[in-house]
Amino acid sequence: MPGIGSDREQVRALIAGDRAAFAQLFRQHNAAMVRVATGITGSRAVAEEVTQDAWVAVLKHIAGFEERSSLAGWIFTILVNRARSRARVEGRSVSFDAGGEDNSLAAAFDGRGHWKDTPALWEEITPDRIVAGRRMLDVVTAAIEALPPGQRAVMVLRGQQGLEAEEVCAILGINEGNMRVMLHRARLAVRAAIDRLER
Amino acid sequence: MLGLNCKQVVARSSALIDGELPFWEALQLRLHMAVCKGCTAFVHQMRVTRSLTLAAGQATPDDDAALAAVLARLASEGRDAG
Repeated sequence: MPGIGSDREQVRALIAGDRAAFAQLFRQHNAAMVRVATGITGSRAVAEEVTQDAWVAVLKHIAGFEERSSLAGWIFTILVNRARSRARVEGRSVSFDAGGEDNSLAAAFDGRGHWKDTPALWEEITPDRIVAGRRMLDVVTAAIEALPPGQRAVMVLRGQQGLEAEEVCAILGINEGNMRVMLHRARLAVRAAIDRLER
Repeated sequence: MLGLNCKQVVARSSALIDGELPFWEALQLRLHMAVCKGCTAFVHQMRVTRSLTLAAGQATPDDDAALAAVLARLASEGRDAG
């Protein structure tokens, strides 16, 4: 994630109307924005509209950016607020709660909380194969897209965009404990998807 | 097994790989993993999952059409980005 220094340079360039700076910022965040907004609105088409609205708002109000958060944090705050408003208008209720207890691995343990079957080591997954194997990344992306809205947003903002924990909490209006629970559950779901591919 | 069972290690695995556990709790997990192949494999899987998640986020999609749409809209609304 760019630091405040490079944020300042980017903001200055955007205020000056630097098209290349905007294109760079757009490519850095647009796909992630669509991913988060799709989770909130429940529709890729609506999410693309909302994301476009958010970009227009970002450029219209860029002079008012006060560095109280990172530039990315500010952009995602605008996006999430717009996506939630749109979801509300369409009668969709979106909750970012962690929900109840996670039982996805309940069957993996015996009564004393020890593994029934030892997990595989995933020796086949090497950095080379990750880079070459588009399919593996597609599986990961599909697993993230299947997550509930809160987990998906936390996974994208924290796990992919590298936003600070406090910033993710502020954007989604959740506490840090909830955020950690959602990140963990999201990772468990993605891990399970990779594990299915490996077997 | 040395204080924590496997289920408790799994519940703390994300916090461990993110470096968010207090020192003594992280040490307890590492002591457990030193004698537990299952938890060692699981924590490795969680690290790989974290790396793959990051890599999937860095894959660059073709955003040119979407970028052009935003620029066109800004131009029509009187705020040009270039």
